[in-house]
This record gives sequence, C-alpha cells and structure tokens, in this order.
Amino acid sequence: MRRNPLLAIATILAVLVSSFLVFTTLSARAIVENNTSRWQNGVHVVIFLDDRVTSTAHKQLQETLESYSEVRMVEYFSKSEAAEEFKELFSGQQELLDEVDFETLPTSLRVNLNNPSDYQLIIERMEGNAAVREIRASGEAIERLLSLTNTLVFSATTFAVLIGFAAFILIINTLRLTAFARRKEIKIMKTIGASSTYIRLPFIFEAVFESLIGTSIAIGLGWSVIQYSKNSVIAQSIFDISISDSYLINLTLFLILSTLLFGFFASFVGIRKVLND
Amino acid sequence: MIKLDNVSLVFQGGSVALSNVSTKIKEGEFVYLIGHSGSGKSSLLKLLYKEYVATKGDIDVVGMDVTTLPKWKVPILRRKLGIVTQEPQLLEDRTTFENISFALEVLGYEESEIEQKTSTLIELVELEESMYKFPSQLSGGEQTRACIARALASNPLLLLCDEPTGNLDPTLSTQIVTLLEKINRAGTTIVMATHDSSIVNRRKKRVLQLHQGKLMSDVPQGRYI
Ligand SMILES: Nc1ncnc2c1ncn2[C@@H]1O[C@H](COP(=O)(O)OP(=O)(O)O)[C@@H](O)[C@H]1O
Ligand SMILES: [Mg+2]
Repeated sequence: MRRNPLLAIATILAVLVSSFLVFTTLSARAIVENNTSRWQNGVHVVIFLDDRVTSTAHKQLQETLESYSEVRMVEYFSKSEAAEEFKELFSGQQELLDEVDFETLPTSLRVNLNNPSDYQLIIERMEGNAAVREIRASGEAIERLLSLTNTLVFSATTFAVLIGFAAFILIINTLRLTAFARRKEIKIMKTIGASSTYIRLPFIFEAVFESLIGTSIAIGLGWSVIQYSKNSVIAQSIFDISISDSYLINLTLFLILSTLLFGFFASFVGIRKVLND
Repeated sequence: MIKLDNVSLVFQGGSVALSNVSTKIKEGEFVYLIGHSGSGKSSLLKLLYKEYVATKGDIDVVGMDVTTLPKWKVPILRRKLGIVTQEPQLLEDRTTFENISFALEVLGYEESEIEQKTSTLIELVELEESMYKFPSQLSGGEQTRACIARALASNPLLLLCDEPTGNLDPTLSTQIVTLLEKINRAGTTIVMATHDSSIVNRRKKRVLQLHQGKLMSDVPQGRYI
C-alpha cells in the first residue's frame, strides 16, 4: 500500500462503488417490495356501480364475483363509506370538501384477488354488465413499477459485478507489484522454511484492509441515503420508505462478509504465482 | 541423514542434470560435493530441500521422505536444514543483524529471544564488527558468513552450502571452511558443493565427485583431481 498509493485508492474506490450499488439496489428493492406487498394484500380491483340499477343487482354482482375462484374477498363500499373515505383523504382541504356533493360518489365493490395479476380476467368478465359503471385496477401501474424495479436491480447488479471484477483485478495487480518488489524476501522466507500462510499473511491483510475501507464507506453512504430519503418529499407523498433496521443490518453484515471473502480470494490469486516460483 | 537411491533429474527441455545418483551420508559427516560447473552440484543440493523435484528415484533427508513429501510440508523439512545458496541472498535494505534476526522472526522465535540469539549467531561467524553494516558494505566473505549465520538460525541438523567460497580469495576461503568445520564439530552434518580443488585437497574430508550428472567417485579422505 505504501508503494502504490494510487492503485490502493483506485481499489478502494472500485470496491466502494460496487458495494454501494449492491447496498442501495437491494435496499431499494426491499422498499418496493414492502410497498407492493401492502398492495398485494389490499384491494386489487375497484368496481364502481351504476346507481340506476337496483341494489339487488348490486348484491347479485357481488355474489357472482365471490363465486370466482380467483377472488378471495369482495367488500361492498356504500355511498356513505365512500364519503367518509373522501373526507379522510382530503381532510386538510376544506374548500374541496365544500365543493363536493357526496351524493355523486358512487357505491363500489372492492375486490381482493388470490393472485393480483388476475385483475385482467375480472375486467374482461365485468364488461357489458349493466350494474357496472367503471372498473379500476391498480394492477397495471404496480406491475410496471415491479418490472421497472427488476430491470433496475438487474442492471445495477450487473454494474456492481463488473466494477467488483475491476476491483478484483486492481487488488491482484497491487499485490503482484508488491510481491514482485519483495520477491527476494519471499524467496529467502521460503528457503528458511516459512509456511505459505506466513508469507501470505501481509498480502491477505492488505487486500482485506483495502476492500473493507471501500465497503465501510459504501455502507455509511448507503445508510445516509436511506435516512435522507425517509425525510424526502417522495417518501411523504407517493412512497413509504419503510425498511426495517434488521434488514439493513443483515445487508451490512452480508456485505462485510462478502468483502472479507473477496479480499481473501483476491490475495490468494494475487500471490499464487510468486509463491509457486 | 541423507539417502539417495537411483536419483535422476531431467529438466523440461530434456537436459539431464543428474542421472542415477545413489549415496548415503551419515550424521555428523562433512562431505565435499565436487565437480565442474554444470556437473549437477547445485541441482543435487536443491533436490535435498525440494526446490527441485526428482524425476526418478528416492530421496530421504533428516528422516523425511522427500520424494513423497507434500508441498505444504516442505517448510517443515526446510526448518530442519540450513541452506546457503550459491548467490548470497541478503536483503539490501537491512543490516547484517537485521538479516539474521529476520530469519528468527520468520521461524517464530519470541521477541525477547531474537536479539540474544542473533548476537550469538553473529559471534559464531565473527561478524561483530559488521553487524550494523548493510550488505553492500560487506566483503564477499562477510556476506557468505552472514548467510551461514542466517542458515543456522533454526539449529539445523544438516547444513547445505552451495559454493560458499565461490568468489573468495584463498585466505577468506580457508576462513569459511574453518568456520564450517567448527560448526561440524558442534554436531551439524555438512554438505558443501565446491569446485575449489586446493581447499578440498587440504582438508582431507569425504569427497563426492559429480561429472555430467553422474556420481563418478566417493572417496573417504579424498582429493580433487
Ligand atoms: N532450472 C533449470 N532448468 C533447466 N536446466 C537447468 C536448471 N538448473 C540447472 N540446469 C542444468 O542442469 C545442469 C546442472 O546444473 P547445476 O546443478 O547448476 O550444476 P553446478 O551447480 O554443478 O554448476 C546444467 O546443465 C544446467 O544447465
Ligand atoms: Mg552450482
């Protein structure tokens, strides 16, 4: 490390970026999963009912829906319940509340599916039904969000692996240069009868040390980013940045452990040649 | 102490360094290994500490079966040997004292023992005056003696010296040989490769002669013809 400060810095940076990518993407995925899982257990399809047909027709429709095997639960949501919900949602905005005629809020059936991705089936079956005024399914948006997240996780992971590989090559090179500069010393140690482990130790130490510095900074940055986004505007409007501390702690431990293994492996590869000469 | 049975060493390119060498060396012996340059002296010594691996034959050194010795056990073998290579291998950025204490560190001696033991080794090879000098400030003979001191760090049963008088004048050569004989009297078996006929002829020790990789003669109080 003393001999190659630039190489050492490059190594630390590469490990940092790689670990940071792993940390943030895995956290981001966990956050998306937390959010969508609430959706998974929630309402998947909302069927607004036409008030012009009789409530018997509404009941019938509910029973039909309940008979479908894809459907787990159907909840009848009356006008007054809709009004309550509306008031709650827009509680701060008195002007808006004054404007609305709650009589125009439709009754609805809120459908919970066994498998949320079956929402399309329900929409198709409800088509042309006289009791139905409008159908809304949040499925599409959620599915797009999930696939976007998956794409993101995939590309970020690819980058993390590539940069991790670059870090690996950098470490190997650093160690090879060091080992080459110290080849006479190593030769003498071998002649005296030093074990391979003894000769390897300082190299393992260097590789693990540099990697750990990179990963530690990355983890620190990752925690700050999450802490920061919890208080950000997005968090307060669309998304709930809910991620458990235990998940973050596990992720941190996982990264540190991987870094240790990474350092060990890199140092073995890095000085294999010098040791075998 | 050493047993060679029909040992051959052929290098990858096909050059034969040793062919069918068989001999025995007993505990406490002082043996000169002689022969022209290229006759296989260094190769034979390197086989003994598994720097080279024999193509054929059985090698037994200090009670260890070198032929079947797994790689991870080679350090165990080497700790029982003292090895002085043909070129003095001293670390340029360390003093004589540090070069010798380095060996003791590698061998895992306690911090407190190292200083004491290094001093003893330096006394033995009579390098007190030069213990704080760097290798470049040492004469050829002093460098060799520093290497011998280092080789003795592990209290070896067997000391292998490859042309320790290689580039020394007769007086210095005699000093080295006298030192080795002193070490031998203290109980260490010694094999010394050399092509210095005057020394061999004067000391009247056992002489093994190699010629083109073959063991030509083995004479108890031999001469170098
Ligand atoms: N590492 C090696 N690779 C190929 N040939 C070698 C190697 N070491 C020694 N030799 C060959 O083996 C023969 C014996 O060499 P060596 O043992 O060094 O002889 P000596 O020490 O008696 O001068 C020579 O022909 C030399 O060229
Ligand atoms: Mg030689």
